[in-house]
Amino acid sequence: MDHNGQESGNMEEVKICDPSILPQCPDHTDTDVPSENHCVNEDHRTPSDPEGLLESADHSSEQDVLPQEPSTEMQKLHVEDDRSLCPGGSETDSGKASQDSALVDNSNDDSGEFVVTVLARGKMEEQGMGMKGASSPLSETGTPLGPPSHRNEDVTADSWRQHRKHVFVLSEAGKPIYSRYGSEEALSSTMGVMMALVSFVQSGDNIIRSVYSDEHTVVFMQRGPLVLVSVSCSRQSEQQLRNELVYVYNQIVSMLTQASITRIFEHKKNYDLRRLLAGSEKILDGLLNLVDSDPSFLLCAVHCLPLASSLRDSLSQILQKAITPNLVFSILIAKNQLLTIVQEKMVIDDARLEPADLHLLLNLIGASSAFQAGEIWTPICLPSFNPDCYFYAYISYLDPPECTVCLVLLSTDKEAFYSVAECKRKIEEAMQTQNALKSIAKAQSYSVSQVGVSDLRHFMYKPFDVPDNHRQLTQFTSPEMEAPYSSEEERMRLLDLYRDLHGRIHSASRPLKLIYHVAERETLLAWVTSKFELYTCFSPLVTKTCAINAITKLLRWIKKEEERLFIRYPPKYSTTPNPSRSSKTDAH
Amino acid sequence: MLMISPRMASGMQEKQYTPSLLSFFIYNPKFGPREGEEEKKILFYHPIEIEKNEKIRNVGLCEAIVQFTRTFCPTKPAKSLHTQKNRQFFHEPEENYWMVMVVRNPMVEKPNKDGKPPTVEYQEEEIIDSVYGSVLQQCYSMYKLFNGTFSRAFEAGGVELLTQKLEKFFYRYLQTLHLQSCDLLDVFGGISFFPLDKMTYLKIQSFVNRVEESLSLVKYTAFLYNDQLIWSGLEQDDMRILYKYLTTSLFPRHTEPELAGRDSPLRPEVAGNLLHYGRFLTGPANLKDPEAKFRFPRIFVNTEDSCEELHLIVYKAMSAAVCFMINASVDLNREFCEKLDSLVGPQLTLLASDICEQYNINRRISGPEKEPQFKFIYFNHMNLAEKSTIHMRKMASVSLTSVHPDLMKILGDINCDFARVDEDEEIIVKAMTDYWVVGKKSDQRELYVILNQKNANLIEVNEEVKRLCATQFNNIFFLD
Repeated sequence: MDHNGQESGNMEEVKICDPSILPQCPDHTDTDVPSENHCVNEDHRTPSDPEGLLESADHSSEQDVLPQEPSTEMQKLHVEDDRSLCPGGSETDSGKASQDSALVDNSNDDSGEFVVTVLARGKMEEQGMGMKGASSPLSETGTPLGPPSHRNEDVTADSWRQHRKHVFVLSEAGKPIYSRYGSEEALSSTMGVMMALVSFVQSGDNIIRSVYSDEHTVVFMQRGPLVLVSVSCSRQSEQQLRNELVYVYNQIVSMLTQASITRIFEHKKNYDLRRLLAGSEKILDGLLNLVDSDPSFLLCAVHCLPLASSLRDSLSQILQKAITPNLVFSILIAKNQLLTIVQEKMVIDDARLEPADLHLLLNLIGASSAFQAGEIWTPICLPSFNPDCYFYAYISYLDPPECTVCLVLLSTDKEAFYSVAECKRKIEEAMQTQNALKSIAKAQSYSVSQVGVSDLRHFMYKPFDVPDNHRQLTQFTSPEMEAPYSSEEERMRLLDLYRDLHGRIHSASRPLKLIYHVAERETLLAWVTSKFELYTCFSPLVTKTCAINAITKLLRWIKKEEERLFIRYPPKYSTTPNPSRSSKTDAH
Repeated sequence: MLMISPRMASGMQEKQYTPSLLSFFIYNPKFGPREGEEEKKILFYHPIEIEKNEKIRNVGLCEAIVQFTRTFCPTKPAKSLHTQKNRQFFHEPEENYWMVMVVRNPMVEKPNKDGKPPTVEYQEEEIIDSVYGSVLQQCYSMYKLFNGTFSRAFEAGGVELLTQKLEKFFYRYLQTLHLQSCDLLDVFGGISFFPLDKMTYLKIQSFVNRVEESLSLVKYTAFLYNDQLIWSGLEQDDMRILYKYLTTSLFPRHTEPELAGRDSPLRPEVAGNLLHYGRFLTGPANLKDPEAKFRFPRIFVNTEDSCEELHLIVYKAMSAAVCFMINASVDLNREFCEKLDSLVGPQLTLLASDICEQYNINRRISGPEKEPQFKFIYFNHMNLAEKSTIHMRKMASVSLTSVHPDLMKILGDINCDFARVDEDEEIIVKAMTDYWVVGKKSDQRELYVILNQKNANLIEVNEEVKRLCATQFNNIFFLD
């Protein structure tokens, strides 16, 4: 009750401040410029940089955090919040006539942004999202708030033991860092045993890999100063569980960088990394939910939303035209699937965005409802690209309050917020002009029945043939899961069958070219060639002849539809300055 | 074992090392529960020269692993531990008695330039847990066959007697393990049955009945021909491990001398007996010898309930062997053995001759097979019947296979998949070498076929397997 009262008080406090901020905006900005610089410098020098900004992300959806922060933190958050509300502030300083006009526009934008933020928050609360344990005056219904937390689960209960998969992260010193179920404190002795096992085997000049019992597989993985352990009663192979631990490690790296983690533990072996990861548990929880339910992770590929190639090309062109120096990736996502991606030309020559990095980015966006509240500027490390450096990500939903279409702009310049935000506005304007959001809203996954094979229930197809010499983002396509895989339980069962096939066909010591498995409830076929990787699910009574004919038909259908199913010709842009741009600037 | 395969023109070679036994130990945590008493837990440890503290550490690791997995599943603790260099297998055959087998992973030793020591690369995924887990269980079953349970020895004479028995048995037994040859057949622990027409089978049945009536002391009998079982009066599980002992230990020891020339000094003396070819494989080597010993190995059967201790008499004439099992409380003497020899010898000789003649007639009718047309393994869980055209005749308990080891491992993988579910299933895979491997499971029967038809497609492979089932298993229905 008291806690709720405090929450309510905070909300009231924010409301009271709202009217006074807006009219004083210019003066307020002038006053805060020195403070902003100070904070920026401070951020740049300390390893806690990601913590601060991630806190900022959390702050916009968890008001209760504010009164508990130290004064410097409050100052930083305040600046951040202010910058969010007044993105055009720095431009007004010059006082030029042309920019006075811009000031007027910016004022309108500020107002719109604020209204959108309030509406978004209200919508979230109506949907039971947002602040934990808070009953807000904006919430008109009694719906439960947010998913139940596993943090306080009783680790001595049977229900804790019966989870399909436990994941633990600890430091070399045996310090608990993360646990999927149950609090790290309650599990510190169990994690201590894990570290003892690792150390013991290590002392014999050996490395512990895994432990098997009738029902469980325990996988150990050491990455630098961190030890990750998975305890699973699913039927996944050891290699698959290990790959999932790599994702967990990389998600942590994406928040902290590998160099930072290494440096921290070099300086203090006993460091409690939870201090830097506080508030990020739900990001790791979300990741582990995704790896179980999203085959993208198993296939190490990106799921593309099927889209007419003309619309996709149009969206790509919009992204191609909205550029600024140091922008390296522009990504458009809808319904957690990739719409299109544009890459800086020089980046393409040197490297490419790996599916694994995109998975981490998508999880970061999806795991935190904070991103739905407005625009976010956050550092993010892409470990497969470079595990030791940050990108800076501008993340914004283009269709509030539905929040299904998300724009991500990645820059190498920490100071580029305003210019990147300007790119977003250009993109938004162009999309409005073309009525793109409505077209995207109509796009959806396809049914397997479109293939026209009655015994075929589902498939996953991952092509290897690339039309150009580009090193392309690896993609896959898959229809909706329909009857008899409508329930969550049945969907998980089918994914488990696919995981079985994948584990056998990609076995490290004895890989296979083809698997045909007649089981009790379905018949499965997995086929890997130099051109594609295919997993199919048939009804149990399909004959082998019918299955082979179905696959022939399926491959033909995919070939016919490939322009719609995949991003075949990824576009690129160049952000290097050129004379024509300079000319434009002068004209402006 | 060391296999050398040349890799470089300069003569530098990669060396491939197969899996080998690193250590084997048995412990009971109840025997040393307090700190400082750890050594008391250890009942047996191989190799014997390992330093005491290292033994204690290695046992401690196993206890920690078992305890750790109990955190998540109290009733089903760890079965194996995988590390970079080795695999450890755990088996608790009796409450609190733990057996551990540590197998070194296969390795490839790669030469380095400039006289640097070679690089060792461990092949961590080559070992199949179900195969070596079964081998560990066999170790216990074999010990139990000759000694009864661990608890029995402990109750009879405490830890001292138990450790004596363990040392006596495992010191010799571990030397007979050939880990590089273990495969799917070790998972099955099956019995090869001799194909027989009804008339000959009835003759054997009649023979067994007559002998058991004349020698009323005989409680159980088993009849084998050519290392294949024809008849058994034992329970299935007991016959299973006894069969393994006979075919991998006792028979091979006596086969090699028999293959020697007639005038070889190794050949047993038969000058005094021209009436039949019968002789004892256990007990007295030569009845005519005044110094002959009448001590027979003792075995334990029905250990789950009555736990009977029996004398094991193995008597052989030509290719036919009979096991007679008599209660261990009975003293067997020269008179009894002479009576058995005079009764069984002539009849068994004639019977062996009849079986051989009938077998040759059948072979002549069906035509001799120089090379099996199909390479397959068949196993029936109900009667433990096992048949393999992949495995060549066993010599000195080393099993040789006629297919690439990777294909055997694929069979092992399919078997693991079948073991997970109760329903009938079929799995067909194409290996990277373009061999096809087909696994069928139906009504507690398992069939595995290896086909070398590189250009065949799935339909053709299926037709080929149908043909195999029609010719080899016409009485058995396999799900298609």
